[in-house]
Amino acid sequence: MIRGAMMREPLAAGSESAEAIAAKVDASLFVPADFDANAAERGGYSDYSYWRSTMRGFLKNRVALGFLLLLGALLLFTFVQPLLPGQKSPTHIHIDPATGMQYRNVAPGAEFWFGTNTIGQDLWARIWGGTRTSLMLGLLVGVAEMLIGITFGAIWGYVRRLDGVITEIYNVINNIPTTIVLMLLAYILRPSFKTMVIAMCATGWLGLARFVRNQIVIIRDREYNLASRCLGTPSRRIIVKNLLPYLVSVIMLQTALSIPGTIGWEVFLTYIGLGLPVSIPSLGNLVNEGRQIMMSPELRYQLLFPTIILSLITISFYVLGNAFSDASDPRNHV
Amino acid sequence: MLKYTIKRLGQSLITLFIVVSAVFLLMRLLPVEGYFGDGYDKLSESQREAVLQKMGLLDPWYVQMGAFYKGLLRGDLGVSTIYRKDVPVLEVIGPRVPYSMKFGIVATCLALIAGLGMGVSMAKNKGKGLDKLWTGYVVFVNAVPLAVYLLFIQLYGTSLLDLPLLFDKYMPSSWILPAVSMSLGGIAGYAMWMRRYMVDELNKDYIKLAKAKGLSQSTIMVRHVMRNAYVPMAQYLPASILMTISGSIYIESLYSIPGMGGLLVDVIQRQDNTMVQALVLIFSSVGIIGLFLGDLLMALFDPRIKLSKSGASR
Amino acid sequence: MAKGDAILEAKDIVIKFNLRGRTLTAIRGAGLRLNEGETLAIVGESGSGKSVLTKSFIGMLDQNGWVDSGEAVFEGRNLAAIKDEKDWLAIRGKKISMVFQDPMTALNPLLTVGAQIKEVFELHHGLSGKQADHAVVEMLERVGIDNPSERRKQYPHEFSGGMRQRVVIAIAVACKPRILICDEPTTALDVTIQAQILDLIKALQRDLAFTTVYITHDLGVVANVADKVAVMYAGQIVETGSAEEVFYDSRHPYTWALLSSLPQLGVKGQPLYSISGTPPNLFNTVVGDAFAPRNPKALKVDFAAQPPMFQVSPTHSAATWLLDPRAPAMEPPPAILAMRAKLGGAKLGGAKLGDAAKNGGAL
Ligand SMILES: Nc1ncnc2c1ncn2[C@@H]1O[C@H](COP(=O)(O)OP(=O)(O)O)[C@@H](O)[C@H]1O
Ligand SMILES: [Mg+2]
Repeated sequence: MIRGAMMREPLAAGSESAEAIAAKVDASLFVPADFDANAAERGGYSDYSYWRSTMRGFLKNRVALGFLLLLGALLLFTFVQPLLPGQKSPTHIHIDPATGMQYRNVAPGAEFWFGTNTIGQDLWARIWGGTRTSLMLGLLVGVAEMLIGITFGAIWGYVRRLDGVITEIYNVINNIPTTIVLMLLAYILRPSFKTMVIAMCATGWLGLARFVRNQIVIIRDREYNLASRCLGTPSRRIIVKNLLPYLVSVIMLQTALSIPGTIGWEVFLTYIGLGLPVSIPSLGNLVNEGRQIMMSPELRYQLLFPTIILSLITISFYVLGNAFSDASDPRNHV
Repeated sequence: MLKYTIKRLGQSLITLFIVVSAVFLLMRLLPVEGYFGDGYDKLSESQREAVLQKMGLLDPWYVQMGAFYKGLLRGDLGVSTIYRKDVPVLEVIGPRVPYSMKFGIVATCLALIAGLGMGVSMAKNKGKGLDKLWTGYVVFVNAVPLAVYLLFIQLYGTSLLDLPLLFDKYMPSSWILPAVSMSLGGIAGYAMWMRRYMVDELNKDYIKLAKAKGLSQSTIMVRHVMRNAYVPMAQYLPASILMTISGSIYIESLYSIPGMGGLLVDVIQRQDNTMVQALVLIFSSVGIIGLFLGDLLMALFDPRIKLSKSGASR
Repeated sequence: MAKGDAILEAKDIVIKFNLRGRTLTAIRGAGLRLNEGETLAIVGESGSGKSVLTKSFIGMLDQNGWVDSGEAVFEGRNLAAIKDEKDWLAIRGKKISMVFQDPMTALNPLLTVGAQIKEVFELHHGLSGKQADHAVVEMLERVGIDNPSERRKQYPHEFSGGMRQRVVIAIAVACKPRILICDEPTTALDVTIQAQILDLIKALQRDLAFTTVYITHDLGVVANVADKVAVMYAGQIVETGSAEEVFYDSRHPYTWALLSSLPQLGVKGQPLYSISGTPPNLFNTVVGDAFAPRNPKALKVDFAAQPPMFQVSPTHSAATWLLDPRAPAMEPPPAILAMRAKLGGAKLGGAKLGDAAKNGGAL
């Protein structure tokens, strides 16, 4: 009862006399208490956890959660689609048994859900097949970029003697438009899946390497201060609890964000004729095929369907990536 | 300032040299068929050798490079091999430069005006409706591949607004869609960076002092935040030129604009090696020069850079 | 208003912040009285709420914070009730101004020093053009910057830390404020420059007749400049009195602990005293005396009920149950007794408090 009464009575200069407040307190309490050294340490702000704060920030973002569900569903469906009953092959050319002709440009319907293309292939199957190709490409490029980026970034950050050289290399590559580098490499190496991966890896690792380098320099300098000033553990704790998780989350993020980028470049390169061979269904090839017949309004579904799926995927990745990036930045953990 | 300019110029020249050499050497990796056009199969082995000999392609690479640089200094980038056989490359490119430049300049100005305005309004209304609306636009432009949304702008924009589908230099209305299309990426970029820089500035200590002085929020915005945010934006200007280049390659070809971007797509499809080489060099140089100018612009605005030894602080 | 009248009187101020979806009470019912012309020092370890409390007097709490209750009366107006930014413009930087801790980042790097001071003259004195420039030069001269007519055209990065702090001070006093709040004005500076800055503020205070609030955790600074001291702990003022009273006759165990940790009070060969444990988590409701868990000699009542402010003398009061008549007599720790003996001797010898603390060792 005393506690309740006292809590509502803030330290009052003048509102109620000290004696009046004191009178409410039991005299028997004026004896020494047992000192508990652990209790003294228990205050402070130990309730901060990097991943928990990141998750909280992320879960608060309703839009991002919606896109997470959407992307999850899309990805799942892309990979189970061929296993479902009644699915057609993305490359098989369907022939009308009655006429012996190809089922050309059949409008969407019960047999061909998304219709067929100009040579009688099933668009539904091609879209999911193309999405698989594009996602695989994106994933491969993402992982390769991550490995290259981390390696270069780590060397860049740790080996002081190489700092200048790598910075110059970075500046050179960074000064050339990405489009040009991509086009040139794809042109020289001749179109293929491998070419595509190499060309995109050649530019994509830059940003990550730079980030890793900066982060390592921060950690390195902290370590240095730590050693020279004997400050004890707090710095190390900051590194382990804050900087490292941040590093890890940004690396994950960049890998995820490179996927829509890769998909976009694939479409672009395909347009200029430097994309994947037409025999491989990919989102780039589908968009390009759709573009060639887009002037006939009744055939526009061949352009619309692939671009809708493609846009849903890239937007989801992008929004999710940025939501995660905001949530994972320790500076936003307020 | 002069010292900084010279230093930065030297840096750019070195970068340019490395890029030119790298492009040249990479192009040597290509199979020689590309220099013959359609007639390759009809020629005998010795005839082929004679042609290659004449073009100097059988020399060791350093001799070729020497010859290439000699030509470059004289303003000679070689002759087209397929696209317009035996016509000097610069003669093919020359008439196309004005188109690319006009579109580039118009698009950059559009992007600058609209993008900065958008960014400022986003930062001022941070977290509110307008901010969210423009953020949606930025997300869209960044997330949806440019090859896709530009296509749809052409497809539906031309029919909805009753504009010509292809570029026609005698028809002013055919300028509108390509120019706007080219600026869309830049607008998103400027808006995003302007917003970010302004929010960054808002969180700085000197804003606290400005506020403690008794300045009103709007004065702080105009006199301190916006002013300071323009400085890093100056550096972003060339980056946006790079973006315009990327866009122009696609857009010029989409609308059949007789500029350099469309030409690059054409010569890639026709596999004209010397033309590809020349255009790649031109585009890379534009990028490098743009970044150089951006750094100068920034140094002009930021009194701290004149003293710093490290040069570009990006 | 005569010297000695209350110019600012704050009572029961409660300030809260929203942090990661939870509410934190940074100031838990703090009160203080500031008299015309005097110098008050607020001391306490970092995180005790010194900055937050004073920032609330000029409406500069961070976005996630607000004054939850209490009042702060200045010129007949309750500052704690001001919600509208426009109303603050009549006070902030005009009647009450503030100097921040870090001069290296306090100035706009892209504007000349002169332009930044000029803003104040334009805003508060309606000067412009030549007149304003003239005032700027005068002000720079006043804060001890050589060759002011040239240096006003320079940028902040061309000034050293100490010089920048002089510029910041010039900006703060250019409006001829009634109250100047200095939030750790010398913490980021070299020891040699610290004393110069303190002297400068003292001189300006004499000339321009404003009231000064120093925030510091350096008791050496306090001894040097303060008339009155308020000791803060975990969002409350736990002891307040004249500088002499707080140094010679402190009553709160936290004040004892704070004084004991002064380097110059250390006994040779013994480890420096430091307060063990950490301040309470302000997310939780604090029951009783917030310092009790860290006080080895705490009483049971300290854990049960919050102590009220007991008056020790008309100017001196402390919030500790030790001042209750029922409490057992408690001697301050030996270091404090030793200090009192030392300072007492010095006092008898006629030396001033500040000198005694200075003699105790380099600050
Ligand atoms: N913007 C904020 N959000 C949340 N908590 C804050 C904020 N500003 C200050 N605090 C909290 O208020 C308390 C007092 O801070 P402050 O007044 O800066 O202490 P100091 O005495 O060192 O000046 C600290 O515990 C701090 O965590
Ligand atoms: Mg503080």
